[in-house]
Amino acid sequence: MGSPPLFYRWATSSLPWLAGLAFLMFSAGLIWGIGFSPADYKQGDVYRIIYIHVPSAILAESIYILMAVSGFISMVWRAKIAGMLINSAAPLGAGFTLIALVTGSIWGKPTWGTWWVWDARLTSTLILFFLYAAIIGLHSSIENKTKADRAVSILAVLGVVIVPIIKKSVDWWQTLHQPSTFTLTSSPSMAPEMYLPLLVCVLGFYCLFIFMLSNSLRGEIISRERDKTWVKKQFFKQ
Amino acid sequence: MINRDNTFNWFMLVLRRDLTLSFRRSATYITPLIFFLIVVTFFPLALGPSQSLLSSLASGIIWISALLSSLLAVEGIFSEDYRDGTLDQYFVSSEPVFVLIFAKVLCHWLVCGAPIILASIISSIFLYLPSGVLFALVTSLLLGTLFMSLLGALGAALSLGKSAILSAIIVLPFSIPTLLMGTAIMSSAINQQDYSGFLSIMGAMLAIGIPGLCLLTVEAILLNYE
Repeated sequence: MGSPPLFYRWATSSLPWLAGLAFLMFSAGLIWGIGFSPADYKQGDVYRIIYIHVPSAILAESIYILMAVSGFISMVWRAKIAGMLINSAAPLGAGFTLIALVTGSIWGKPTWGTWWVWDARLTSTLILFFLYAAIIGLHSSIENKTKADRAVSILAVLGVVIVPIIKKSVDWWQTLHQPSTFTLTSSPSMAPEMYLPLLVCVLGFYCLFIFMLSNSLRGEIISRERDKTWVKKQFFKQ
Repeated sequence: MINRDNTFNWFMLVLRRDLTLSFRRSATYITPLIFFLIVVTFFPLALGPSQSLLSSLASGIIWISALLSSLLAVEGIFSEDYRDGTLDQYFVSSEPVFVLIFAKVLCHWLVCGAPIILASIISSIFLYLPSGVLFALVTSLLLGTLFMSLLGALGAALSLGKSAILSAIIVLPFSIPTLLMGTAIMSSAINQQDYSGFLSIMGAMLAIGIPGLCLLTVEAILLNYE
């Protein structure tokens, strides 16, 4: 799967299956969680947004790590597809981070009474969003897309080194400037009736991401390799 | 006769060259200082001149202004040399390029960091910074502006020839640990607590950052030679 034409062929044949799996897992998890899991004794029904919020947040982190690994592969082995993967995954990662932030805000208003609070997790998610934006901005500003891939690989690799440092320092900054009457009420020990749909939702979001990434990467490959013979043969069958 | 025996001599050569060039144009070392003072002045203008408010915000304001000034000042670090071919010479020499890049960054820090430190001492008067913390301010800013110069050089290399604001977007999230450490040093100093731990952490960030960021900067500059 390392070379663009092979990935293109694999993606074209697998996309219907990936789409079906993603649709199945995603809808199963969400319907089970939002429709059928028991109501929380403290928060009532508003906690159900957790089935969107938590998978988005998990995915936001994982996509960044995926981009960093891909960047490392691109820098060391000069694999073209690794560079293209960063470009395809970055908007998806930014989107999931945004969903996590917005659903978190919506969840926070009825439960904490405020749309936003500067606690460690929210602050580091916001910073992660800025990192995604930096990658998207840098890639779009460089004309030569192969060069853009390499520039963005440098940024992704640097980011993955700095992100744990940022998280640690934000954590410690939080304890230093502890707001007086605030406690985080999410993620206590959960009953299995609530936990299992959450697991299915997380898997469903991952499947959705893999489907969207394969789709986007397939389009990216065609767009980048448009001068190559294999692309011409694909679309202009003589 | 220029001694070309070892890498250290090359390092000193690049350092001396950049220092000479920087001092020829007074704009190089005056503009960061003026920008810093202007930004600092805007805070009392926007927030009101109340002494208690300003003195509680003083260390944060000084640190943010120092970050922004050193970021903007490092923008043109590679543009001249890239355009006239000096950077090519660094790459074809048999010396490790990241050492020469560090010489450029060090020169930039010496030329722009010193005015910023001076401006911060003046700002401590403008913003009613509590007395007795000047030493903490200067040491934390010394280490912080060096790290910012390194990061800014990487941003300048990645966005060589493009807008400065893109470089700012790239670099600013990575400067958050420096900002948090620096302001922690300041608040510990104001509360008369020991801040040597934070200085050690900043030193550690520099110890990893100097080789690491210079290596990444070399990679980034190489992109423009494809």
